[in-house]
Amino acid sequence: MSEAAATFTEDRQRLELAALSAPAVIFTVAMIAFPVVYTVWLGLHSFSSTGKQSFVGLANYSRLLADTEFWHGLWVTIALYVLSLVLQLVFGVWLALVLFHAKRLPGIVRSLFISPFMMPPVVAGMMWLVILDPSLGAANYILQSLGLPPSEWLASPVWVIPTVALIDTWQWTPYVALIVLGGLQSLPPSVYEAAQIDGASAFKTFQRITLPLLLPTIVTATILRSVDLLRFFDIIYITTQGGPGNASNTLNIYGFRVGFEFFNIGYASALMLTLTAIVFGAVLAFNRLRGAVAW
Amino acid sequence: MKAKAFAARLALALVAAGNAASVACAADFDWKKFQGKTVTFLANNNPVAQALLTHKADFEKLTGITLKVDAYQEQQMRQRLVTVMNARSDEVDVFMSLPSREGPQFAAAGWYADLTPMTKGAVAGDYDYAGLGRALLKAGTFDGKLTSMPMNIEGPILYYRTDILKKCGVEPPATIKDIEPAAKKLKACDTNITPFVSRGLKPAIAYTFSNMLHNIGGNYIANGKSNLCSAKGKEALETYSGLLRDYGPPGVVNYSFQQISALYRSGRAAMSFESSNELRTVMDGGERLKDTALVPFPAGEAGQVPTAIGWGMAVSAHSKQPEAAWYFVQWATSPEIQKRMALQGIAPPRSAVANDPAYRRWIEEEPVRKQWQAALDVLAAKGSSEVGYPIVANPESREFIGQAVQDLILKQKTVDQACADADKALDVLIAQK
Repeated sequence: MSEAAATFTEDRQRLELAALSAPAVIFTVAMIAFPVVYTVWLGLHSFSSTGKQSFVGLANYSRLLADTEFWHGLWVTIALYVLSLVLQLVFGVWLALVLFHAKRLPGIVRSLFISPFMMPPVVAGMMWLVILDPSLGAANYILQSLGLPPSEWLASPVWVIPTVALIDTWQWTPYVALIVLGGLQSLPPSVYEAAQIDGASAFKTFQRITLPLLLPTIVTATILRSVDLLRFFDIIYITTQGGPGNASNTLNIYGFRVGFEFFNIGYASALMLTLTAIVFGAVLAFNRLRGAVAW
Repeated sequence: MKAKAFAARLALALVAAGNAASVACAADFDWKKFQGKTVTFLANNNPVAQALLTHKADFEKLTGITLKVDAYQEQQMRQRLVTVMNARSDEVDVFMSLPSREGPQFAAAGWYADLTPMTKGAVAGDYDYAGLGRALLKAGTFDGKLTSMPMNIEGPILYYRTDILKKCGVEPPATIKDIEPAAKKLKACDTNITPFVSRGLKPAIAYTFSNMLHNIGGNYIANGKSNLCSAKGKEALETYSGLLRDYGPPGVVNYSFQQISALYRSGRAAMSFESSNELRTVMDGGERLKDTALVPFPAGEAGQVPTAIGWGMAVSAHSKQPEAAWYFVQWATSPEIQKRMALQGIAPPRSAVANDPAYRRWIEEEPVRKQWQAALDVLAAKGSSEVGYPIVANPESREFIGQAVQDLILKQKTVDQACADADKALDVLIAQK
């Protein structure tokens, strides 16, 4: 076959491949792009509570900057994010180390350790709502049995964020642990053998070898949890609906209520796009960090 | 004289002709007219819809219409409805609606089909439109258009423990002013009992608070402005929040009907101000059946102005088959079905059903049911459907009422600050068209 004929055949094959995959590609792009474009369009319009719409340009975004509830929601979102993420990373790494070193741990115990994140968040929320009920819940019963004062948990404006963070930590720590466990299992044994020969203590080995080598894995877990935590919704909605007052009113809860309870879809879209931008920003920042700590 | 007699005969003839036409219309009525069609019903998965849908097969058998049910929890149902209606989709033919909450908003948005001509057209002979509660029909009428047919009547009532009150030497409160001293005495008498519980969850507060405000003699709007900072408004805010703060359960700011009923049913509350709909839940297991009494909320300076609302069935303005949809609405709100639902514990919006012998027998079986019906009779006779501000943005107005009450429960503001902040935000909502 001449070179020209071979090139022709390759081009034809390429065209055929493109033609065959085009419908799937177009469908996928449309499925991703349409909701985003539609939300952008909604965010540029105002919808009165009776459903009448009018183009308002960037007015929804300027309203957002002057909206104290937005800034409060942003603060709550960030506070909950930071607290939950730190707790989940610390306990996740610890749980992963336990599971990694406890080779003889029966499978059933391992499954029990990682089971919370398999539970639907709505079920987890309902379960914790009952446990933490200040009057009827088991949590206060245990506290009082130990001679400790009862807490108002989710009903206290002071304690609601730490309590929600604890519920999320209970549920998602095993997920972080599984990711970290995967990272631990891929670490080169030769480094540990060298450390052992040099007489490094267990703590030094962890501090100087395990942790630095695990950093890319931890950053990956951070990215995955960041996306979820910044969009945190289900457990808060089930347990507090943003209360008491507006103490747990995250941006996501606020946007949902503006859109679906007060029917202001335009402003809700602007809120949600702003939250999406924050999520993207966080992911990009952590992606850069991942590049920096890669080995 | 002759002219008068002629006029009288003519009037008689016209009335007779009208009656004949009506009888003919009822006689012509054919339940099978829309056989083979499918009607989609967006339902709130609450006890009202659950009771109704136990008879779904009977509707399908009677009409030959297939009933497709989309049932969600209340908030998710509204979420779905908003999406469907904004898209002007005909996916939903019939939906459940609370006129006291979203009525003005949905009516202004044009989401409800006008049922007025339907109630005068294709109506079965035994429908008895006139037998439906006038106040509930009025609550579902906006700009002269009837937007929904009442399914039930409900409102907050006071459940109290006769045994605990007797043990502590407390008389059942006859007026609002009696509640606080009674709660104080109960608290001193038995520290394990919550003296008084009602709704403290922000969006849920307006349902019970409105009853107290109206009994005290307050109103939400005066001269086109929010009126929470009036003397009566502040009295209602302080009384309601004070009762919950000083005599309510810990964590009451997260309490809605589920938590309230659970607390009362478990025997840990002496007085509970909660929906009449919760009777079944509260009495479940039978422990509270013999030690509970029910009354409408005690009177204030304005007497008793109980909150009385009801779920309604509406036909979507975007339905492509409103007549078939109306057949379902008509069947679901007919005397026969409402009688069956009444025996399942759903308070009927028809006095004829409330007086039905079978229903009366069910009521007479337990003293607590008799008291429940007596309280509902008061609700039907004196009730107001105003829950939150009577404006298009009613759902949002409930947020600010709830916020003001929570600010006081949590002692985050003084009553003057709380009502002023609420009035400021509510004035903006009132001004919205």
